[in-house]
Amino acid sequence: MHLLAVGTAPSVFAGGSNVIALIVLLLEFGMLRQALRRDQIRLYAAQSAALSVLAITVAAARNLPDLYALAFCSAAIKVVAVPLVVRRLLRDTGDEIAGSGGLSVASSVLVAIVVAAFGFFAVGTLPIRSPVLPITALAIAFAVVLVAFVLMINRRDVVSQAIGFFSLENGVSLAALVVAAGMPLIFEVVFLFDLLVAVVVFGLLIRVHHGRAESLSTSELTSLRG
Amino acid sequence: MTASLPIPLIQTLQVATVGLGAPLVSGVISRIEARLQGRRGPRVLQPYYDLAKLVRKEALAPEGASPVFLLAPLVACACYLTVPLLIPVLTTYGLPLGYMGDILGGGFILSLASFVVAVAALETGSPYAQLGASRAKTFAAITEPVVLFVVFTVALVTGTDLPYVLAATVRSSAGQLVRPAHLLAAAALFMVILYETGRIPVETHTGTNEFGMIEEARPFEHSGPYFALLKWGSMMKQLILYVILVNVFVAPWGLSATAKPGDVVLAIVTLLAKAAGIGVVVAVIDNSFAKLRLFKITEFVAGAFLLAVLGVFTLYLGGG
Repeated sequence: MHLLAVGTAPSVFAGGSNVIALIVLLLEFGMLRQALRRDQIRLYAAQSAALSVLAITVAAARNLPDLYALAFCSAAIKVVAVPLVVRRLLRDTGDEIAGSGGLSVASSVLVAIVVAAFGFFAVGTLPIRSPVLPITALAIAFAVVLVAFVLMINRRDVVSQAIGFFSLENGVSLAALVVAAGMPLIFEVVFLFDLLVAVVVFGLLIRVHHGRAESLSTSELTSLRG
Repeated sequence: MTASLPIPLIQTLQVATVGLGAPLVSGVISRIEARLQGRRGPRVLQPYYDLAKLVRKEALAPEGASPVFLLAPLVACACYLTVPLLIPVLTTYGLPLGYMGDILGGGFILSLASFVVAVAALETGSPYAQLGASRAKTFAAITEPVVLFVVFTVALVTGTDLPYVLAATVRSSAGQLVRPAHLLAAAALFMVILYETGRIPVETHTGTNEFGMIEEARPFEHSGPYFALLKWGSMMKQLILYVILVNVFVAPWGLSATAKPGDVVLAIVTLLAKAAGIGVVVAVIDNSFAKLRLFKITEFVAGAFLLAVLGVFTLYLGGG
């Protein structure tokens, strides 16, 4: 980890792409705070859109035409398809307000800041250099993953946990964009289809759980403990 | 061809711009707000008439209040008139008295003003004024860390904590303007300003909802010229904070680089226009969000804190 010399700013491309990566992280924090499921889904769509914008920026600046295709596929799946499916699932269940977490909103944000700081500095010490994006974006990607964990641990309802999992995948995609932007397109698309499998599994879980317990809260599941 | 203005005069003009322009900016904001709500709204100059009317009225003090009660508005106004000496209001170059204090120094003077007003509110014995004072101090304690982290960001970016230097750094290249640390610090500062000026989502500054009041409740017992001073003070505080946001962080352009009268006058006009621009944003926010419940304000502040902390983090990673 080294402290940047005073007064030297990163280039406009580095600064701009870091800003987009930070927007992804801030939207993750937004999901952590958000009390309405509908808005959580909206934030997830916005986060995925920000990721696609970042991919397009990298594609344009670093001359990697594959990434255009990736950005398009990921936008089609994560901005349009996944939110649509989850919203369809929610329409049947009827209740709007997500289960409140174990912690209050302000405390969970503070906990997430600490966890994100751990991610930031853990990655900052690694000697990784990426040819396409500044290393800060990788650190931010780890912070996104860790905050998504906090979201999934803190929330006590199935839909929030599913959204947490999907946004965790966004964090992983961001990391992939930093360290492996030149990866063959086929791998990237395979990861996207992985996400679709997760959506099917979570969709099923939401359906079955709501059918049995008449609620989306996971507190019903504690009775399963032996 | 034109002679330069003497530097002390420019220094005085900085104070005069803030002092005399503040009611105008408040008037513009309430006008825009009214238009956004479909009302005709008051005249832009209405705050001046309000102040003039209050000055002509009788001043009363509650029974048993000590001289502190009447002294507080004077001290607060003196504080608000001192801060414009420290920040780049009109010029890109530092004026002689501009180096009396850094950003923290300016912050201390603003806190002193808010402290004496709170003490005066406690003097009154009126429950509403005391409620406002205690709330203002409670929430000031939780917004303080945000301000500190913004100052840390500035210090890490520039190596100093002088507002003039940060403004010059931001002007120096486009990379400085889009660097994440700078944007995050500016956003965090904007959220603090919404809190400090008593705007939605923290507080409504119109209406008479006593239970939600923080800043607005404190001068309840003041009257006449003293009340006028307090109102003028809060308008000045608003303009000072806008100046810090706009001339140090967001858009430090349009400042005068010389001491020529034309440039200085242009800088005054640009400054008031930029402040009105911030006012438009604030008025739009005022009209599109609901007021937060009192205990939700911590969530708002936690959001601002998040932005400021992330700014420092990205700087330490070398990418900010």
